[in-house]
Amino acid sequence: MADVKPGMTAKDYSRQLTKAYYEGAKHARENGKFIAYTTAVSPAELFYAHDVIPIYPENHSVMMITHRMTAELSESIERKGYTSHLCAYARSDLGFRELHKSPIGGIPDPDFLLACNAQCFTLTKWFEVLARRYNVPLFVFDTPQFIRDKKAREEIITYVEEQIYEMIESLETLTGKKFDFDRLKEVLEYSRQASILYKTYLDMASYKPSPISIFDALINMAITVYLRGTPEAVQFYRLLVDEVMENKVKKGIGVIENEKYRLYWENLPIWFKFKDHFNFLASYGAVILSSLYVHAWSYDFDPSNPVRTLAENYASVFSNVEMEERAQMALDLFNRYSLNGNFMFLNRSCKAVSFAIHELRDIITEKTGIPALVFESDMGDPRFYSESQIRTRLEAYLETLDQLAFEKMRQF
Amino acid sequence: MGKEKILKDIQDIATDPFAYIKAKKVAGKKAIGSPLADVPAEMVHAAGFLPVTILGTNEPIVKAGAHLPDNACSLARSNLELVLNYRKDTFDGFVFPQVCDTTQHLSDIWRMTIPADFFASFLIPRQVDRKSAKTWFYRETLRLREQLSGFAGAPVTDAALRESFRFYNEVRALLRELYGHKRAFPGTISNREMFDLIRASLFMDPADLIPLLKAFKKEMTEEKEEKRLLPVVLSGIAVEPMQLLNILDDLGVNVVGDELIVGSRMIENDVSENGDPVEALTARHFAKSPYSPIRDRGTRLYDHLVTLVEQTRPAGVIYFHIKFCESQDYDLPDLKQVMREKEMPMIVLDTEYQSVTRAQTKTRLEAFVESLYGERENG
Ligand code: SF4
Ligand code: SF4
Repeated sequence: MADVKPGMTAKDYSRQLTKAYYEGAKHARENGKFIAYTTAVSPAELFYAHDVIPIYPENHSVMMITHRMTAELSESIERKGYTSHLCAYARSDLGFRELHKSPIGGIPDPDFLLACNAQCFTLTKWFEVLARRYNVPLFVFDTPQFIRDKKAREEIITYVEEQIYEMIESLETLTGKKFDFDRLKEVLEYSRQASILYKTYLDMASYKPSPISIFDALINMAITVYLRGTPEAVQFYRLLVDEVMENKVKKGIGVIENEKYRLYWENLPIWFKFKDHFNFLASYGAVILSSLYVHAWSYDFDPSNPVRTLAENYASVFSNVEMEERAQMALDLFNRYSLNGNFMFLNRSCKAVSFAIHELRDIITEKTGIPALVFESDMGDPRFYSESQIRTRLEAYLETLDQLAFEKMRQF
Repeated sequence: MGKEKILKDIQDIATDPFAYIKAKKVAGKKAIGSPLADVPAEMVHAAGFLPVTILGTNEPIVKAGAHLPDNACSLARSNLELVLNYRKDTFDGFVFPQVCDTTQHLSDIWRMTIPADFFASFLIPRQVDRKSAKTWFYRETLRLREQLSGFAGAPVTDAALRESFRFYNEVRALLRELYGHKRAFPGTISNREMFDLIRASLFMDPADLIPLLKAFKKEMTEEKEEKRLLPVVLSGIAVEPMQLLNILDDLGVNVVGDELIVGSRMIENDVSENGDPVEALTARHFAKSPYSPIRDRGTRLYDHLVTLVEQTRPAGVIYFHIKFCESQDYDLPDLKQVMREKEMPMIVLDTEYQSVTRAQTKTRLEAFVESLYGERENG
């Protein structure tokens, strides 16, 4: 790909990397390379180590959603018998395959599919549809719920490790090439560095005022999703961290003026609305700072033990632990970033992250004393989004926070 | 005892198992509940408990809605409702399997909201197409054995397991025989009756059920049917509400095969009574028919129905889709295509546990069956 040129901003570099990545994918076959579709949370390092290009249909779906194509794409597959309550990523992707419409000219067909269910079960079924369509192998990377039982955890890790070896075998069959474990260590070293830097970036939300909002995090997470394991990802996050440090933190500049409310966001964003939400909240002195979702890619790899470290990191992602543990993970963000508000989005698209939200809310509210707003909508389909209803609820919630702050002041 | 009386006894338990379970509890048995699917009842039984498969409720949803949104599948919501509201005191513990996003979270909700002396997650592999799944199932079954031993206060021995295998194998064999009889002599056992018998085996202690099934078998006659019933195959996870089976009886069809989870998949394979018992349970798990949320080999999920149709030669297939089961949602468009290619008529019914009398479903079934009759006459 490309190095950072002098004077280049992180944004420029990210654009360049994204362009090069999709170009590389487009010409993969001419260059004798194989294409694997994979899920955002998955041991993609195995692909980079084996010179197979990983493509993330979810990522492509986000682009279709933000270009407001989902309703049309979804309707095209609803006519084929799929229902409108499936995940909007899946519907956008299957619709793209019907209508061949895409903001980036589409993504190439797969030679191999990897679905890791630590993220969700939906993906395994969605990819099953693709496996039939393209008649290519589907590898379901099965990560049983990472329950809080020491013995069970040990056994889960062993099961996941076994599957990494099976996955390696499948890759060898696909390419006819021997897998190189030294190369895997190298790739993991890049992933490790990129993850640390990415986390450093996310943790900048602890400054007051915060120099970043969740919307920055969402934009900048793309590189770690699809390029972790490459030196370019490391360079990008280094550049990004330095930039925010120099331009914002050192100057005490916050992402909004008069920062009053530092909010937590549960779930994925409402992609096609997030800019509007940002502006709307800013007018109240409120900014959403973080979410477990963006932290899903802050891994902690130990390249000296590649198979084990992959197993441990991918089995224990927030969407695959028990709700009590997930609440702890969220509470950790509340503490570290001094959060004082809580938006909990029940995302109709995503059962994997949304179900049991009430249990999660109960723990967080009990531990923090901060009221939570639970509201229902869809991350990608405007047909399930009611602007006036959501605005009214957000407003009412912010007024509650105002009221609480006022009462607190009066008590002093 | 006459056929009618035996049947009534079993059907009473199948439709409302709770009086039976209560009586067992009074007699000193602890009841361990498990939602669908694939928890080895033999293991729970060998530990000295009464294994009960939780099959939801047709009563209204009152409390579950506060925990699970309305786009959670009807099965999950009605299961939660059952234990949260209607049958709070029935279970002493739970063994909870996970197969999809809904069950994974339902497991959390359940553990956090329903007090019980015992809760074990049974993390079955969500793929059965590679070797690792077998090793994992084996280890997970061993872990379950340890947990149940802990709750029972005594180890689950190999001898106890083999004894349970014998009991459950006998139940399954009897049910298979009766199903075979139903197939060979249409009209001797109605659809509702057959599935009630299978259902009873998911609640009842085999020691109680076996004599009833044996007595029932004795009453079987080899009568010829009065009017030719139309053979059909059922597909899906469960037929709910059960009244749909009565409708099928009224419409003059005979179920000659099914790939339901609450159906043939429960009775099709036995557990070997020789060798390592946990190995034997593992072998049975991997011999089972496909199950929508579990990733199976290649296109086995579809091939299975194709084979079943070829073997049983039905006039049509009735697919029961549980409302908001996304696993089935992803399967259906391609499955319909496969059946079209095979020129096998198939109807998909969207079902919900709470809609016991849905006129629309009935009308659609009637129209479908009529069209099949039409085809038979023309063809
Ligand atoms: S949004 Fe949720 S359901 Fe959809 S692919 Fe992502 S994790 Fe899975
Ligand atoms: S597989 Fe379908 S019916 Fe079963 S729990 Fe999951 S969503 Fe519900």
